[in-house]
Parts: sequence; structure tokens; C-alpha cells
Amino acid sequence: MKRVIFFLWASLLNVPFLWGQEKEKAIEVFPSTPYYQYIVYENLVIFWAAIIGLLIIIRMKLKEIERVQKLGLEDEENMASHK
Amino acid sequence: MNCPRLKDWFGERYETAALKKFARGKVLPTHRYDLWYYTGGIILFLFALQFITGMLLALYYVPHAEFAHKSIIEIVTKLNMGWFFRSLHHWGAQLAILALFVHLFASLLLKSYRKPRELLWYSGFVLIGIAIFFGLSGYLLLWDERAFAAVRVATGGAGALPILGGFIKAFLRGGIDVTGETLTRFYAFHVAILPLMTILLMVLHVLLVQVHGMSVPLSLKDKTLPQEPFFPNVVYKDLAVWLVLLGIVVTLATLLPPEIGRKADPLAAPPEDIKPEWYFLFLFQTLKLFPGDIFGLNGETIAILLISLGILGLFILPLLDKKSSRGERSPLFTAIGICYLAYFLVMTLIGYLS
Repeated sequence: MKRVIFFLWASLLNVPFLWGQEKEKAIEVFPSTPYYQYIVYENLVIFWAAIIGLLIIIRMKLKEIERVQKLGLEDEENMASHK
Repeated sequence: MNCPRLKDWFGERYETAALKKFARGKVLPTHRYDLWYYTGGIILFLFALQFITGMLLALYYVPHAEFAHKSIIEIVTKLNMGWFFRSLHHWGAQLAILALFVHLFASLLLKSYRKPRELLWYSGFVLIGIAIFFGLSGYLLLWDERAFAAVRVATGGAGALPILGGFIKAFLRGGIDVTGETLTRFYAFHVAILPLMTILLMVLHVLLVQVHGMSVPLSLKDKTLPQEPFFPNVVYKDLAVWLVLLGIVVTLATLLPPEIGRKADPLAAPPEDIKPEWYFLFLFQTLKLFPGDIFGLNGETIAILLISLGILGLFILPLLDKKSSRGERSPLFTAIGICYLAYFLVMTLIGYLS
């Protein structure tokens, strides 16, 4: 009986240590500080704004090229020489 | 930005006028399927992105079993923007393989493989194989327990092939099992052998596109299609697509950076519910369909043989589809193409959800 009690006591003695054991931490693959995170997200928004801006410029340029092509001229340089 | 002096400098030394004439003379047909033409440009852009980010990562990566995992953790946690470039490389690879599959199935269903473009199909097909091996070799470089187990399964699967299997397995692993030797080999493949092969094949593929011009679907072959100049019209459209794509890759890299698992331990049991990368899921799921023993034969070997036959069938499709080579419609091969696509999608989805 004494042995059984001793065994149970020894087993229970480990419980606080098990509770105290932290779950293995995952490796951080993204900046953890809120300040850095804010900068990253802010830059992402600026990046998309720049992309949208460039897309608008490309669209305008393409329209202009198509307009010149419809006139039957090869490009703007030729158009300048025709003037 | 006109730079007339720079133009003159080149013009005096090289035949730029001929190049300009070629670029201006190149036209693309416009029709309801011309959207698929952009997938080729998307792949080119993503490969360029992979080369740039890969070179940056190679500056800090240590290809040794003892230090590989640690060097990646250092890239991600200590280097300025290291996490971003690693994530960009990861997502660039995923999207490149996705774009390659889209390009493959678009070419398959639009019968772009038909005479005289057979070599384009073969070179593109080999490029997909290379891209998948790029993915597998890059995955092992992480040297975490999941990558280790996935490569063990993949190389083991290749070993199930009759006759050549044992040699392929040993060649890939550099020994009996996946070890540090495998890591060295996969690193050599990933940063030297495969990029060189990719560049050569891509140059060939692009040159062949220039020789043959863009393929027009059979249903539109006899119609007079409006033409669009490649330069500058299509170049600008390509640029717009690439910009959007860059935005998508950067967003994915920022919002969903890939995890890093625990360091690989060759003696430890493989982690539970292990799954390969998404582009291997259809193969993985197919292998799961087969029992271990079929009429006394190894089920895995039969499965690998059938998969290899299926892939070989797709590879030699230009030889089989005689009708489309003659310029006639071939609904049977359209149905076969749809079956391939449906099988790939369904099996990938089942593999992902299960």
C-alpha cells in the first residue's frame, strides 16, 4: 500500500511541471511588433495605390496609341513628321 | 523617355532598325479566346521573379543538413525584409506552377499542340516537369520535418517504377535514404541545373512561338480575325497584367507568409496528416485509391505505372490527335482534355479537403 501511495504521490508531483511546460513556440515568419506590422500594411496599401495609378497611365497611353493607329499613322513620331 | 542619343549610339553599332521593324510587324489575332495568350507572359514574369528572389535568398542560405534550417530561420527573423523575400519566393512558385497548369490545359483544349506546333507542346510539357521538380527540390531546402517526409514519400514513389525506379530513387536521394546528401543534390538541382535547363527551354519555346506565331483555335481558323500589333499594344497589356500579378504576389506574401516547421530528424516518425504540396495532391490521391496488393502485384507499382502512362499519353497527344493535325475538329480529344482537367481538379480538391 505504501508503495502505491508513494507511486501516486511521485506521479502527481510531475503534474505542476507539466502544466508549467510551455507549448512549443512556432517560428515567427512575420514581424511581431505592432509598429513594424503597421508599417508593412501601410506600405502594402501604398503599393496597391501605385499599381492602380500605373494601370490608369497604361490605359490612357493605350487609348492614345489606338487613336493614333485608327488615324492610319504608325506612331506619334510619324505623326509629328507629317505635321 | 525618348533618349535619341542612346538610340543613335545603338543604331550606329547594331541593326536596331531591323529589330524595330520585326517588333512592329509582329501582330496577334484578336478573338474571344485571346485572353489565354497572356498566360505565357504571366509564366515568364513569375519565373523572372523567382530568379531574382531566389538569388537574394541564395546569398544567405546554407545548403548543409546541420545549418540549412537555422539559416532559413535567420533569413526570416534576423534579415531586414528577409521574411518578405522568402514569402515572395514561396508564393511566386505557387502561382508559377498554377499558371503553368492553366497554360497547359488552355493549350490542350484549344488544340494549340496541333501541327506545326508539336515542338512547342513538348518543350512546354518538359518545362512543367522541370517546374514541379523545382518545387520539390525547393521544398526540401527548408529542411523541416514536413519537407523531409514529403521528399521521402515522393522519391520513394519514383522508386516504385519498374526497372528504372531504383536508379531514379538512388540518383535523387544520393543514397539509400533522404539525408544531407539529398539536400546537397537538391540544392544543386534547384540553383544550377534546373535554372539552366529552364532558361534554355524557355528560349526555345519563345523562339518557336516567334517562328509559328500565335495559335488560333480550330473553330476560328477559317474566319478573318482582326489583328493587333504586338508592339506597343500587346506589350502595354502584358505590362498591366504583370503589374496586377505583382500586386497579388506581394499581397499573398505579406498576408500569408509560409510557416517553418521543426528541423528534420531522419530518425523521428513522420508528422501526422502529412500532405504534399497542392500540385502533387492529384498524384497522392490517386495512389491512395489503389490497394496495397492487386492480384499478387504491388498496388503502388501499378498505380505509378498507370500514372506514368497517363502523363505519357498527354505528352504524346500531338502524335495521337491526327484529326486536328489535318485541321479538322476532334471532339474525342476535346473530351479527353476535359477528362484530364476534371480528374486533376477533382483529385486535387479531394486531396485538399480529406
